[in-house]
Amino acid sequence: MNRNRRKFLRAAAAGGVAYAFGRTPGTVYAQTVGTGGFADYKALVCLFLFGGNDSWNMVVPTSTAEYNAYSASRGGGTASSLAIPQASLLPINPLTPDPSGATYGLHPSMGGVRDLFQAGKAAVVANVGPLIRPTTKTQYQQAATTGHELPPQLFSHNDQQDQWHSLRGKAILKSGWGGRVADVLNAQVGNQQLSLNVSLAGQTYFQAGDVARPYVMGATGATTFQGFATTGTGLARRNAFQAVVNASRGSNVNTVYERSFATVQQRAVQFADTVNTAIAGSRNFTALPDSGVTLSPLQQQLRTVAKLIAARASLSMSRQVFFVSTGGFDQHDDLVADQPGLLGNVSTSIKSFYDALGEIGIDGNVTLFTHSDFGRTLTSNGDGSDHAWGGVQFVVGGAVRGQRIYGQYPVLSLGSAQDVGGGRFIPTTSADQYAATLASWFGVQDADLVKVAPSIGNFATRNLGFLA
Amino acid sequence: MKYRARWGLAAASALLLVLAACGGGGGGGSSGSTPTPPAPTNPPVTKAEAFRFLNQASFGATEASANQLIALGDNTNSYSRWIDAEIAKPASLLNPAVEAAYPNPVPAGFNIAALNATRLEKWFENVLRGNDQLRQRVAFALSEILVVSQVGALQNLPFATADFHDLLARGAFGNYRDLMRDVTLHPAMGIYLSMLGNQKAVAGTNLRPDENYARELMQLFSVGLVELNLDGTVKRDAGGNPVPTYNQEIIEGFARVFTGWKWDCPSTVTTCTFANTRVQGAPVAGYNQVKPMRFYAEQHETGTKRVLSYTGAALANATIPSGQSGDKDLADALDNIFNHPNVGPFVAKQLIQKLVTSNPSAAYVQRVAERFNNDGSGVRGNLAAVVRAVLLDTEARAAPGGNAAATAGKIKEPLLRLTQFWRAYDGKSNGTGGVVKYGAGVNFAGGVSAVFGQGQGQSPSVFNFFSPFYAPPGEIADQALVAPEMQLATEFLNTQVTNFFWTQALNRTQLQSGATNFNVDLMWITTTDELGLVADSEALVNRVAEKLLGGASQMSATLKSETKAQIERTTIPATNPQTAQATRVADAIYFIATSPEFVLQR
Repeated sequence: MNRNRRKFLRAAAAGGVAYAFGRTPGTVYAQTVGTGGFADYKALVCLFLFGGNDSWNMVVPTSTAEYNAYSASRGGGTASSLAIPQASLLPINPLTPDPSGATYGLHPSMGGVRDLFQAGKAAVVANVGPLIRPTTKTQYQQAATTGHELPPQLFSHNDQQDQWHSLRGKAILKSGWGGRVADVLNAQVGNQQLSLNVSLAGQTYFQAGDVARPYVMGATGATTFQGFATTGTGLARRNAFQAVVNASRGSNVNTVYERSFATVQQRAVQFADTVNTAIAGSRNFTALPDSGVTLSPLQQQLRTVAKLIAARASLSMSRQVFFVSTGGFDQHDDLVADQPGLLGNVSTSIKSFYDALGEIGIDGNVTLFTHSDFGRTLTSNGDGSDHAWGGVQFVVGGAVRGQRIYGQYPVLSLGSAQDVGGGRFIPTTSADQYAATLASWFGVQDADLVKVAPSIGNFATRNLGFLA
Repeated sequence: MKYRARWGLAAASALLLVLAACGGGGGGGSSGSTPTPPAPTNPPVTKAEAFRFLNQASFGATEASANQLIALGDNTNSYSRWIDAEIAKPASLLNPAVEAAYPNPVPAGFNIAALNATRLEKWFENVLRGNDQLRQRVAFALSEILVVSQVGALQNLPFATADFHDLLARGAFGNYRDLMRDVTLHPAMGIYLSMLGNQKAVAGTNLRPDENYARELMQLFSVGLVELNLDGTVKRDAGGNPVPTYNQEIIEGFARVFTGWKWDCPSTVTTCTFANTRVQGAPVAGYNQVKPMRFYAEQHETGTKRVLSYTGAALANATIPSGQSGDKDLADALDNIFNHPNVGPFVAKQLIQKLVTSNPSAAYVQRVAERFNNDGSGVRGNLAAVVRAVLLDTEARAAPGGNAAATAGKIKEPLLRLTQFWRAYDGKSNGTGGVVKYGAGVNFAGGVSAVFGQGQGQSPSVFNFFSPFYAPPGEIADQALVAPEMQLATEFLNTQVTNFFWTQALNRTQLQSGATNFNVDLMWITTTDELGLVADSEALVNRVAEKLLGGASQMSATLKSETKAQIERTTIPATNPQTAQATRVADAIYFIATSPEFVLQR
């Protein structure tokens, strides 16, 4: 029986929620042909851990003083303890040891990511989260009177997911940061046959551009239209279907709803065969095989990403941003029991994806990074933790300056300088800095970073240095 | 080019204004004027108007249901009479069918997986064949606000999940305050949002109450994140910023209220205490999955609790006093939330969005919120009056004109496209022993939610299949509008749903025209009318538009001409014409059922 108690499952399978496009009505979709262009290939893969990953149990202090602080905050030794036993943690050896002497280990289920870290192919970004500007505890506590800017609706799932997706701060933004990356690179990717942004896990605000639109496929690719063909009545049916759809996009008669829906239908017809042909002609990876092994839904998504990357030339792709996800992290209950399954799947999936990319020698051109709603409280509610703020993320790939911990991993004491109550930590590195570092590697010019990460100017460090 | 007149010109707006002014003839009119009995010369509801109404108020308009509505009177009283009759009907339920398949509480050791499918089958039967259509439609709307799901912690508690939906069906026309209590204490919600087993803080440790239910009850079920005006618009402070409805301290206050509740005493336990009833881990022998949670004083926080502060709040200093009973704490807390001024506009707008239109005018929201605040008899939270106000409002009934026409209505969520289609075409399977299998795997590879992106009781999280704030990029986001159901309209899901209709239209029509050797659980549609019109493409396409769009005149010129042309591309041979005939019928149905015009709920 599946013990995983997935209260906050999001979107791993076909039923996932997604984010649609709506081109200007009446225009036929076509990307402008660029002149700049990229000679190389790069891809970003956003792995979203829906529900708010309790990442203080993902990367954990192992040195005695720091572990004891962690354990005390998590109720170690009590019936409601959330602490991972010290001896079971998987030690890591950062190239640059923490000056305080603190050492760290990964959750015992994360052997795959531990191996990547030790091999220099993965890095930890510690205590990162949405911020508008650097924030002290005093500034947080006095914000209501001083007007110190904080992301609105801290600790709320959808609002903080939206912060990670969009980096909007207090502004109202239609676009996510992945979408804006596509916008600023638009002129250089004009010959790409597919949208720069592709989701395998439903609509996501992350990929919505102000101009550019993402494409949403299933975990194993697109679905082709039954009843359509390349000749005869089937071709005529396809053409007639498109004629109906295109008429519904007309600006003068229909509702905004029909126009929006028809725009998606038009793209579905346009791209299904292209995508599926590319996937069908792609590679069968040893690390993520087409058959013989049961893959998790996340692995299935990542296998399709790997296939599309392998088929990049056939689609004229030089820059791609993929969105994949897995859920179940809203662990108000059964945290200790369920984390091994959840984090184990994350670790296994990341490792197999990295290995698959290695099979085709493209691992240095692809960077996977994690996002999650928020970190969680250090304190226990009995058998789980509640919504908090800063947390730990992983960055993985051959271009990563790995085997390092970026940012400041805090001492996990209640009432410490970053704790705003219950073990909710103010981030010391912002999601804007994290995104800007990724976008800069991807090819966004320094002058354009503020378009991708609007609050980046409020932080002294624009690049966290985790990508070479 | 204007290509269609969506509304019968007989829909005289003056009459509709009269209708709105008298509150639709029910719910205790708020104005002092006595409505004049309608003159006998008022025209009847047109077929197109009937379709519009029944797509808002049922699981899909059919010609039969439209005729029944039209026969109730004229266009000043038919709608109201229909609603009156619907409100009086008892609820079609799910859990009795699940309990008929297996006993609750369960005996020890058994496989429960099939029982969620039993629930889904019963739901399809109820919404496709049941006669309490308005109640089922409102219950479904409520189930997308007060969300629990078999996906996750409830996966092995099929009775709880089924009974929770029954709670919504029974309470669809009751009082929202009662619904808040019943939802709060139902073990399905208790487990889904982890209030079941929530315990008090322990001094000297870092254990403190679970905040999950406290947070989502406020954010998703009642007041929302920010203060609202009566018309549903966001209040702003002097600096132009939204005003948060609550803060972390208030969440912690409610979290403390919701301590001490757990499974009711199981039959296997003689002396019931918090400690010796299981937290969850169901199914467990002896635990009744549908009995409201039981209060255990030993795990209840007894101190004061901070709650919502607003003008008119009953509790002094927005604080629940210390030392009260668990029941009194709960009643005070739910009263405190229920009486917050946000609840009226919050519930009103969401019900309007789920039944009528994604982008109601502020005035429409306000009219419904006023009815939530006072049903005309001084009662707050009367959902029967709220539903009546939603459906009889001039904005729901009058033909949208001018700029409003482009934003009137909404996208039909995929399940509602399916139910309307099956209702219009009498979808059924032959079924083993005559039992129709609507959701069988043979009809939906991987289950209905794998194909349609949603299924009753299968939301991916408490945030529902789609957000009421979702705005697809493009003109909708640019104009600060929303289209919540568009969140499920990806290229991927659209293609799957489109293909489903192709399979239904083609294969199932072929089956009728002679084939007998097929899976008895395959759903098929009745196309006798259409098969009789295959030689006349004009008549054929018009007939389908009558059934799905409420009239041939509701179909755009392009949809009609393209569909006709496609029909005519299949030549019917003199001998063995069945396949060609079925293809002609299939093209007629497929093109209209997948058109953006059908996807739009007008």
